[in-house]
Amino acid sequence: MSMLIEQDSEVALLHRGTRRFLLAGLLVTLLIIAAIFVRQGLLRQTAVLTFVTESAQDINKGQSVKIAGFKVGAVDTVTLRPDGQVEVELEIDADSMRFVTRDAVIELRKEGLVGSAVLEIMPGADRTRLAANGAKLAFTRADGLTAMANSLRDKILPILGDIKVITGTLADSRQGLPATLGQVREATASLNTLLKTGNQQLGDVGQAATRAVGKAEAGLVQLDKTLSTVNNRLPVLLDKAQGIVEHIEKITAEAESTVPPLLQDGRAVASDVREILTGAKTAWPIKNLVEAPASASLKADSDPRAEGSRAPR
Amino acid sequence: MHRAEPWRYAALLVVPLLAACGASPKPLPEPRPRVQAQELESSAARRYAQGDYSAAARHFAEAARLRSSFDDAAAASRNRLQQAQAELALGQTQRALDHASQVTEASLQVQALLLQVQALLTLERGDAAQARLARLTALCEARCAERGRVQLLQARAAWAQGNVAQTARQAEAALPLLREQSEEREVANAWRLLAAARLVQGDGAAALQAAQAALFIDRQLAVPEKIARDWLLIGDIQRRVASSEARMAYQRALAVAQAAGLKELVQLAELSLKETSQ
Repeated sequence: MSMLIEQDSEVALLHRGTRRFLLAGLLVTLLIIAAIFVRQGLLRQTAVLTFVTESAQDINKGQSVKIAGFKVGAVDTVTLRPDGQVEVELEIDADSMRFVTRDAVIELRKEGLVGSAVLEIMPGADRTRLAANGAKLAFTRADGLTAMANSLRDKILPILGDIKVITGTLADSRQGLPATLGQVREATASLNTLLKTGNQQLGDVGQAATRAVGKAEAGLVQLDKTLSTVNNRLPVLLDKAQGIVEHIEKITAEAESTVPPLLQDGRAVASDVREILTGAKTAWPIKNLVEAPASASLKADSDPRAEGSRAPR
Repeated sequence: MHRAEPWRYAALLVVPLLAACGASPKPLPEPRPRVQAQELESSAARRYAQGDYSAAARHFAEAARLRSSFDDAAAASRNRLQQAQAELALGQTQRALDHASQVTEASLQVQALLLQVQALLTLERGDAAQARLARLTALCEARCAERGRVQLLQARAAWAQGNVAQTARQAEAALPLLREQSEEREVANAWRLLAAARLVQGDGAAALQAAQAALFIDRQLAVPEKIARDWLLIGDIQRRVASSEARMAYQRALAVAQAAGLKELVQLAELSLKETSQ
């Protein structure tokens, strides 16, 4: 009996342990599932953005969508519409919607020169007006390698043409490098001759300059003598001139005060004399001696030089 | 001692008082610019009469300027006309024409037109002269004081056009009218023109008589240039009538021109003398 009782307790222990194990496994499984959900983003809030393009080239489902280089979502669906256009739906974090403005542009570009294609959302200038969930944005494709190669080719081709022309000209025996080198050789020879002549002439000039300097030296000696004489006499002359100027200033100062009244007096006297003379002219017996005013009407003379009636000669 | 009556003292006082009351009040003195202008005009007229036309023109111009300064337009216009007359005498014909044309005073229109026609005839602008002469004739009716001068200008215009008969007719008609106005210079001008016309007409005797009449007046007026011209004209007439006398006339013309320093007339007289000696 006691053995049965011992077995029952062991079984009960086993059952309890088994239940605990199963519960722990279930708990771990649930945690793993929750982690997978979180990792897959099934529990996060998302927003949808769409754009329409003419071609789905380089656009795939699950392709990364970035803002300023940070991944914020992925391409959800790529569908061909009945009108032939391709509609692409993006699913991005709802939290990232604060960076997406209404005038934002979605650009398809390569990560590096040969990296995978990603969609980059480039916010617009007007940061105050944000795009709503489900908004349709503009789409553009960045220049790919082909476009860059084409652009490079367009720029290089004219340069290559120019190089061809330049090398052709340089190779020309008449006008090109050989001819130029010949001319340079000739010019160098002429320059040598010129330098020789110049040296000779400079020698002549040097001799003439030496003579001129000699004469100038003699002149300077003479000038020095003259200046000494002037130096001796000038102070006396300046003293005299100063005296004369002071005298003139004195006279002018006196004249300033005396001349204007004199002039005024003179004018008044002249006026008085005129009046006296005018009166005297009209008074007897002086008026008989004074010439009477001439008549205002002049004697007519229609032919003062007697040319109008010259007889025809 | 005899003592004077009181009424005599009263009479002695009253007589000077009455005389003072009866005397004409002293006229107010003329303003100085007006007096100056009058003196300038008088001086200019005196110089013109003396033959100093250059000074006369200057003084008339200054008088005109002064009168314009105190807005005496009529007197300024009169002075401007006098200036033009002096300039005509100086031989500055274009200036004279300009100054005479500036005068717009109605009362001086006849005088202005007379000078303009005279200047235009001297400048040999016949058409313009005829046009203004027509206006002048219309302005100067039969009773016009300047009728004699107008007729003389008409004679000169006809002479300029080569109408000798008309020249003689107008000059003859002008003579009595000019004599009435005591315009001796113009009378001499008319005689000279008539002499020239008669010479062309071939009436040597009448031409000589007219030229001598002109010379007589010009001698009285003592105008050397005109006297020399008269002698040249007499010489020309004598060459047609009696060539022996012509040389003497040209010599007189030469003597007068040389004495007066009239180079152009000296050359003319010398040329005429050379022609008569050939």
